[in-house]
Amino acid sequence: MSQAVADRQETEERQTVGGRFARLMDMGDGALAFWLLLPTAVLLLAIIVYPVCRLIYTSFLSLSLTSGLPASFAGLQNYRDMFADPVFWSSFWNTVIITVVTVPGALVVGMALALIANIPFRQRWAFRLALLVPWALPLAFCGLIFAWFFQSDYGIVNDVLRRLGLPTVIWFNSYAWATVAICLTTIWKTSSFMALIILAGLQTIPRSLYEAAEIDGAGRVRQFFEITLPLLRPAIAVALIFRTITALQTFDIPYTMTRGGPGTSTVTLAMYIRQNTVDFLDLGYGSALAVAMFALSMIVTVFYLRMIRRGA
Amino acid sequence: MKYGKTVLLALAGAVSMLPLQNASAETLHVFMHSYDMNLWQAVFDKYEASHKGIDIKVTVGGNTSEQQAQYLNTQMSAKDSTLDIINLDVVRPAQFAAAKWIMPLNDDLDGGTKYLDRYLSAYSKANVIDGEVAALPSRADAMMLFYRKDLLKKYDIDPPKTWSELSADAKKIQKQEGGDLQGLSFQGAAIEGAVCTFLLPYWSTGHTLVDKDGKLTFDMDAAVDSLKLWKGFVDDGVAPKNVAEIATDDTRQDFQRGAAIFAVEWPYAWNHFQNDADTAVKDKVGIVALPAVEGGKSATCLGGWQWGVSAYSNHKKDAVELTKYLASREVSKYIAIHGSLLPTFEDLYTDADVTKAVPWFADLLPVVQSAHARPVTPRYNEVSNAIRTTVNAVLAGQTSPEQGASQMQARLQRILR
Repeated sequence: MSQAVADRQETEERQTVGGRFARLMDMGDGALAFWLLLPTAVLLLAIIVYPVCRLIYTSFLSLSLTSGLPASFAGLQNYRDMFADPVFWSSFWNTVIITVVTVPGALVVGMALALIANIPFRQRWAFRLALLVPWALPLAFCGLIFAWFFQSDYGIVNDVLRRLGLPTVIWFNSYAWATVAICLTTIWKTSSFMALIILAGLQTIPRSLYEAAEIDGAGRVRQFFEITLPLLRPAIAVALIFRTITALQTFDIPYTMTRGGPGTSTVTLAMYIRQNTVDFLDLGYGSALAVAMFALSMIVTVFYLRMIRRGA
Repeated sequence: MKYGKTVLLALAGAVSMLPLQNASAETLHVFMHSYDMNLWQAVFDKYEASHKGIDIKVTVGGNTSEQQAQYLNTQMSAKDSTLDIINLDVVRPAQFAAAKWIMPLNDDLDGGTKYLDRYLSAYSKANVIDGEVAALPSRADAMMLFYRKDLLKKYDIDPPKTWSELSADAKKIQKQEGGDLQGLSFQGAAIEGAVCTFLLPYWSTGHTLVDKDGKLTFDMDAAVDSLKLWKGFVDDGVAPKNVAEIATDDTRQDFQRGAAIFAVEWPYAWNHFQNDADTAVKDKVGIVALPAVEGGKSATCLGGWQWGVSAYSNHKKDAVELTKYLASREVSKYIAIHGSLLPTFEDLYTDADVTKAVPWFADLLPVVQSAHARPVTPRYNEVSNAIRTTVNAVLAGQTSPEQGASQMQARLQRILR
């Protein structure tokens, strides 16, 4: 076979489908990785990077659909307004307070629930089933149900207080009590999610460790702090990250329970963004608020990522 | 041959379809509230009967002004063409016209803006935005003071002329009657009605909120006094402790079951007080103009609803015709007699047929004529929010009247700059 014939044969081979596949297999790992990652990258660009860039761009515009005016560049005006807006600051702090109270709160309650669910007893299935209910309940329903519980005249909470001879409270008539009601509801709703993740973590801890500790004379409390807690670290970290991010986006429960009242005192950042974009159609200002929420989420995420890296 | 026959038959069929096509109904979609539906259905039926080929379908979207505005905000931002005619609260034409969601009607009306001269002047004013007719008035509305005739008579008290008289009268009756009888019911929930709550005593002092050009003319003292007045009713036990939760229809229900002496309400409630099966106050209800502040003039809040034609409608011509009919004298008279809804035509207040059905309308004309309009601005949603959330916060004891007034001023300045 002459060289020319061999070359031609090779060219033909390359042109067939099988040939192309062979060539694909030939290419370096880097190129292969590129082609395999491309679809995901395009998807992420389209649904995350583009909207975020567009959001940041819109936040520099004066764009209100009620004005009838076309969008115009407004520079930092939306941000100046935002920093001077007392409702922005109160919604910002409400979001922070709800996060700081309900995330550790749900962790503690969720941990307790998970420990109970992990004790081997015969009716455990019923307990585990009950554990799933708050998790499966839509947030808005949960808010509406608890709004009835906390209603001042015929709510069950005031009824119990009355029967115990304690003074009753008009829950949604004061910022402090309304916030307490929102936080209690949020903890009830979210602790089961914490419990589920921690329960999964608990079941990966070998029984033999506890048996060994018992032989060494370690009590229940010591076992918990020396074995359970350290080995649960990864599960707790995952649960905290998920829970914190959703807490920063708190919307449904305060929206359905207080509508932000009394006044604007229990408005959260997510509620304020919705009000400005949907009710007021002020897309420029709403975008600036959304950028603020995005920044807050980024800070928290970076904090957690660092914490995990340090732990690893 | 056979083939030709089929074609002929098909053609004949197509031709016979043509007149049918013309007669087949054109559907006009009307967006409105869901209450008083029987009343309005009768109005629509009448129009359909006299306009062959027009079929009217109603779309409802929430029962309060804010809920409807929220629904329309998304619908109209999306340039949705499914709605042809929209029922609008008196505070909305400015926003809808500025956003170009409703079409200007000048060219379709005889005399352009002059066409509106037939209506009460408050409504011709409210519906002309930047020299263009934005919508046509459907019905008038103004807040009134409702009182228990029987209780006032029992203690030989005349209807109060000022808010402090009202407070004294209410305390006197409350003390004698005992129980948890409310002195006064008004709207303190963060709803549109709370905007009027704030403005009633504010206007009564003679101050305005905005000037003719839409510039803010906020008077701090009048605002503080207004908030103090309402908070005072709560602190004195004249108004219930949970007034921050009370919306318009809560007031109606409380008064209807006989739990309140006075109520700040809209006239629609009268029909319920007289005719509902569960009413405890039938023939015991009196209606007068709202009290004034000490040294001020009685002021009320102008309400009312308008019909606008969607700018995205595919049936504009027919929609405009229907709109003219819905805003006609004939319809205004019909809904006054059958729904106790206030007419938009001056002479109907003293019309014999109307006064036979609703005698107290005769006294209402001066009240409606002197009613104050809420600020006209495309950013009304934000103005409303700034006022109603402040009223709500003050009544809940969350903010002091002074703090509330200065917060309100700051927020209004940002919106109306």
